Amino acid sequence: MTDTILEVKNLVKHFRQRKRLLAPRADTEIIPAVDDISFYLRAGETLGLVGESGCGKTTAGKTILKLLPATAGQILFNGEDITHLERRQFRPYRRHMQMIFQDLDAALNPKMRIRDVLQEAVKVHSPQLSSAAVKVRVGELLDLVNLKQNKLVQFPAELSGGEKRRVGIARTLAVEPKLIIADEPTSALDVSIQAQVINLMRALQNRLGLSYLFISHDLQLVELISHKVAVMYLGQIVEMGVTQQIARAPRHPYTRILWSSLVNKRTLETTAPVVAGNWGVYDFERPAAGCRFASRCPIFVAKGKPSACTDPATAPQLKGVAEGHQVRCHFPLKA
Amino acid sequence: MLFRQFQVEISESNQLSWWRTAGRKNKIYVIYGLAVVLAVLVSYGLGALHWLPHDPDDMNFDSLMAGPFTGGYLLGTDFMGRDLLTRLILGTQAYFLPGLMAIAIALVLGAVLGVSAGYRGGRVDTVVVYCNNLIDSFPRLILVLLVIAAFKPDIYYIMAVVGVTAAPLVASLVKGKVLFLRQKNFIESAIALGIPARVIIIKHILWYNCRALLLIQATLGMAEAILIETSLSYLGFGVQEPIPSWGNMVQAGANYLLQGNFWPSTAPALAILFTVLGFHLLGDGLNDILERQQ
Amino acid sequence: MSASSGPLLLQIRDLRTYFYSQAKQAFVRAVDGVDLAVFKGSTLGIVGESGSGKSITMLSSIGLVTSAPGVITGSVIFQDGDKPVNLLGGLPDYVYLEITDGRIMAVHKQQPQWMTRVRQNLKPYRGNNIAMIFQNPKAAMHPYQTIGAQIMEAIQLHTDIKDKVAARQMALNWLDRVQMDSPRLRFDNHPHGLSGGMCQRAMIAMALAAQPSLLIADEPTTGLDATIQSKIVDLLLELRQDLGITTILISHDISVIKRLSDDVAVMYGGRVMETGPAALVLDERNEQRHPYTHALLASTPRRANANAQGYLPAIKGEVCDNINIPAGCRFLSRCHAINDRVRDRCRRMEPELTVVAPGHQVRCWLRQEDG
Ligand SMILES: Nc1ncnc2c1ncn2[C@@H]1O[C@H](COP(=O)(O)OP(=O)(O)OP(=O)(O)O)[C@@H](O)[C@H]1O
Ligand SMILES: Nc1ncnc2c1ncn2[C@@H]1O[C@H](COP(=O)(O)OP(=O)(O)OP(=O)(O)O)[C@@H](O)[C@H]1O
Ligand code: SF4
Ligand SMILES: [Mg+2]
Ligand SMILES: [Mg+2]
Repeated sequence: MTDTILEVKNLVKHFRQRKRLLAPRADTEIIPAVDDISFYLRAGETLGLVGESGCGKTTAGKTILKLLPATAGQILFNGEDITHLERRQFRPYRRHMQMIFQDLDAALNPKMRIRDVLQEAVKVHSPQLSSAAVKVRVGELLDLVNLKQNKLVQFPAELSGGEKRRVGIARTLAVEPKLIIADEPTSALDVSIQAQVINLMRALQNRLGLSYLFISHDLQLVELISHKVAVMYLGQIVEMGVTQQIARAPRHPYTRILWSSLVNKRTLETTAPVVAGNWGVYDFERPAAGCRFASRCPIFVAKGKPSACTDPATAPQLKGVAEGHQVRCHFPLKA
Repeated sequence: MLFRQFQVEISESNQLSWWRTAGRKNKIYVIYGLAVVLAVLVSYGLGALHWLPHDPDDMNFDSLMAGPFTGGYLLGTDFMGRDLLTRLILGTQAYFLPGLMAIAIALVLGAVLGVSAGYRGGRVDTVVVYCNNLIDSFPRLILVLLVIAAFKPDIYYIMAVVGVTAAPLVASLVKGKVLFLRQKNFIESAIALGIPARVIIIKHILWYNCRALLLIQATLGMAEAILIETSLSYLGFGVQEPIPSWGNMVQAGANYLLQGNFWPSTAPALAILFTVLGFHLLGDGLNDILERQQ
Repeated sequence: MSASSGPLLLQIRDLRTYFYSQAKQAFVRAVDGVDLAVFKGSTLGIVGESGSGKSITMLSSIGLVTSAPGVITGSVIFQDGDKPVNLLGGLPDYVYLEITDGRIMAVHKQQPQWMTRVRQNLKPYRGNNIAMIFQNPKAAMHPYQTIGAQIMEAIQLHTDIKDKVAARQMALNWLDRVQMDSPRLRFDNHPHGLSGGMCQRAMIAMALAAQPSLLIADEPTTGLDATIQSKIVDLLLELRQDLGITTILISHDISVIKRLSDDVAVMYGGRVMETGPAALVLDERNEQRHPYTHALLASTPRRANANAQGYLPAIKGEVCDNINIPAGCRFLSRCHAINDRVRDRCRRMEPELTVVAPGHQVRCWLRQEDG
């Protein structure tokens, strides 16, 4: 199966933030959380989405699921344009597109017992199920995520972080979606359960052809499970390609820095400072003209600060550098 | 500072044993309040079934304004020799159903407005805030009197006014709750799961998270309804003689106060006092226990 | 820095935190006899299964488990200057257990008095001397206050800086140090408008701004990308060197633990299964380690560990049940290292922590002599 299940075209999501509490409406800062991203995802495929914390990964995921209204752009699910569907019309699609939320408490109404949470999730899209069948299904879900039956009567606040995470995963799987946007699904889990979750995701993919948009900071995990990887920086995709290419032969300087800080962690004994280049703190207050990465870019400095990088007119665009490999940089690194 | 914040999170797990952990003060409040509620319910039932110690209109001119425990009258008689206890019991009829109606109006209207203000924000929100301020700055009794002047002195009209004017407060409380819950993101995730908006609002927001708040508002609303009804009956706008209401009983008895016969007006006054107090304490106790405002 | 030496800062002895669950009429033994020692100026890393009681251990120690039907016993000795104080002192006085036939039938707890005592015990230390980075920053931050205001509050409360302008400057400085991008803009953000990782950084800033002598960090780096993660790790190292902050670090990220900790404790089912110098506990070749530690580290999801189909090894079997605790070793049902010499003992009795090397203790029958 190679049909495209999800296609995102030039998706934009801007947040507005008032400068001061009582500032007039016009006096707002625009935070370009997602700024023109495009990608597609085939059935049975995993796209890893990585990038700096705060670069807009979660926002992208939520916008795709229409939990946040898109500012511009197009979202196609199975070839159908869902961007402008109304809530009610969109509800049937929800059964096929689900999200594992980054926030541990997100999925859980604090006043509901875990049992009610899961039963509700099972019943949402199959109301015809008998209550016995629902119970059986809830039991299966618990087993899938290796959670004890006796946690069912507990309230969310009485669970550990990892248990909440697993309830969240179980709840997502309850509706048997085709596409899962997994926002750091393994955070707060111990490594053994991480491995189980990864195995589960892979098994479901092999058996049912699920597709994942896998958002994570654990690059080694991303390498392991994704077919393709997209690297985001400040709301834009700066590099996208097959996992091996991205991990082994990154062409964008940011990707390289990202992966090299990982390597540094691997060899812990050598604790050299992690990042090359001037890792000043990026300021939304001084929006970058041209390439958004310029202020931190080692190449930019090495090349004597060429104006091509800072001129808004010649901001770099995503360009193909190899088969299925795109980079947003004027001076991509050598492969 | 961290402590305070964390407590909020943890305390939500205490649902199971809220009664156990309640402080003694709140327990006493709640028990007293529940006793009052029970007494009102029983009185209302007795009145509706006409299971009364005496005929409420039966005048015994041999014992006018008798004290308590005299001549087979447990609480004595009024200025026309009618049994006070019977009339007190019947007096609950005057406010019980209308009060419930006021509560229903306040809660339903308040919940609808509150949820739409919290959920959608914008214009509804502005209207709610505005109404709340408006009503806060305007004595409710005057509004009620205006309505009486415009229509007719019917208790249901009056209670409709009470209900409608109480709604903005409920709405603003519900709105606050909704805003708080929205920070918690689980509403977003319920939407993501495909749960219809109406279910989210009714089940997740109102039932699971606002039921304590609404219960508390209901008890306070009843207290308010009783006060309004009795004040109006006292002023002569509410229930009219010979039908008993605590308000007109106080009023009727008050004419004889100067003669030293204070009991016929004190008895209904005390009934009002203890009942309203009961509902208030119930509300307060529940508020402390369920909402954990330490 | 030499591990496991010098004066102790915090010593936890036989800490037990049980939650009484009315629905099940049973105790959830979240923490079931934990002993830990933290040396001044060192870092203790805690790893372990999800749900094994890591967070609850730390929360109980600093009096943040307020759940009403909970019972906490044991002692937590905090070295305040030269004066040792028991942070849990006096608490057992307010709890009565009704025991019939050796089973706990009911718990009576004077919750208000208990809470007052907890507060009394900890008031001088919380924030000032002890700060905590919570596992779920979004929930632990105040939803209506801007993060800047919250950090300023911490500074004004816990340090000498009382002046508003100076506190603001300091707060911005801390936001900068934890790698928050555009600190001035973020300063006025509510936690809601921040990404997961930003919230986490704000939380870290808030905890560090109080300049505690003991920092408890519950998974401080999960939401952060690799570059910021290593920056935060560097920051923690730097603070330890400059200010001598003692840290308890709970994490599932073994590489972070490796980089930061002097000592490591491994928890399973509410108990410490192994503790010792990081070099010994995390050493893949060390044969003296606990079977659980071994299995845990071996299941780290890395490409190198995966099989041909891409599946990863994970510890087989169910996670530990903390209600019906088996009489023998808690890890028995999943243990791969068990052999006939010890099988019988593993079933019958729980092993004690046994010293296998200087400073290195393991709770496993395999590591004990016959006898
Ligand atoms: N509700 C909101 N209002 C205003 N700004 C927001 C809101 N939600 C997110 N943002 C901003 O959008 C940007 C992207 O946030 P997002 O949560 O998508 O980041 P992320 O890539 O998921 O980061 P992390 O890895 O830390 O979770 C951030 O700068 C954040 O401050
Ligand atoms: N209030 C409570 N009532 C009942 N059980 C509870 C309560 N709080 C926590 N528990 C249980 O105690 C156990 C330990 O929880 P804890 O949060 O300490 O785990 P953890 O080691 O931090 O795990 P994680 O790595 O997943 O965060 C869990 O099994 C949890 O379900
Ligand atoms: S005590 Fe026995 S069961 Fe437990 S870890 Fe050691 S060998 Fe395995
Ligand atoms: Mg995110
Ligand atoms: Mg935890």
